[in-house]
Amino acid sequence: MKIKDGYLLREVAGSNIVVPVGEGTMDFSGVITLNDVGAFLWKNLEEDVSEEELVQRVLKEYDTDEETARRDVAEYMTSLKGAGFIAD
Amino acid sequence: MHKLRVADIDLLIKYKYDTMLKQAKFYETEFEKPQITIDIPDETLEQWHRESPHLTIDDIEYVYTGAAFYEALLHFNGFMLHSSGVVKDGYAYLFSADPGTGKSTHTELWQKHFGADNARIINDDKPAIRLVDDRLWVYGTPWSGKTDRNLNMKVPLGAIVFLERSEDNWVKQIKAVEAIPLVMQQTIRPAEKDRMIMLLDMLDRVLSSVKLYRLGCNISEEAAEVSYNGIKVEE
Repeated sequence: MKIKDGYLLREVAGSNIVVPVGEGTMDFSGVITLNDVGAFLWKNLEEDVSEEELVQRVLKEYDTDEETARRDVAEYMTSLKGAGFIAD
Repeated sequence: MHKLRVADIDLLIKYKYDTMLKQAKFYETEFEKPQITIDIPDETLEQWHRESPHLTIDDIEYVYTGAAFYEALLHFNGFMLHSSGVVKDGYAYLFSADPGTGKSTHTELWQKHFGADNARIINDDKPAIRLVDDRLWVYGTPWSGKTDRNLNMKVPLGAIVFLERSEDNWVKQIKAVEAIPLVMQQTIRPAEKDRMIMLLDMLDRVLSSVKLYRLGCNISEEAAEVSYNGIKVEE
């Protein structure tokens, strides 16, 4: 799974924001603000990646245990899918 | 074709209707080679006119030449903020809000309260902001919305203020993270990725270095006093 084409992640004045570009502007016209973990996951999801691989990358990047990482990734994926940002 | 200098950019531009002829008069200049050329074919203007029959062809020319200019502005470390800009004590204060909220009414109150010579409207609707020589400047442009209030001058940016109607008058400083969606609503959002990156990089600079406020205001003269005292640049 990966993020659909048509979104741009950029740091603006200390915040990680996502805006639609190109085809993305047809579906969504707002601005999304991500926390640091959210931005990390979003960047990793710009290339096709499995949920398991995401969990492993979070464990490598952050000082956290596997159970927490798994839960965080699952929650994050649910909200991204629910918002229609994920292409399967 | 007309030769204008707008926001310190040499602009070769075609227009022929009254509004543009009148609005652009104070921006005429001479140069050898333009930095931006805007040449919208007559057929295109007529097509847009057919799509928006409630506007006159004169309005269409005014709106779309402006849109073309502000899109090109992104390539010159600049962007447009939908706002009424007032200059006081050598700084430009930009009051931004949706149409009909009372941006122009508020800057008119500044003029009434401080005198028209001490509070000058640099652009009543669409000032340009540019990063030049590592400093942020506000410029008047010929495109100032429904009024002809604009001045061909540049002034350092003092503050950006998001205005809302309120029974009493108050000012609250806000953080960049709160201002990002507000600014994005009040500028032209480029659909194309390269230009969106240019816009976001400008916003990164602007929102990191300029004071940002929310202003709740009514239409009494006290609103101008409260607003000025809350946002003025302290030397």
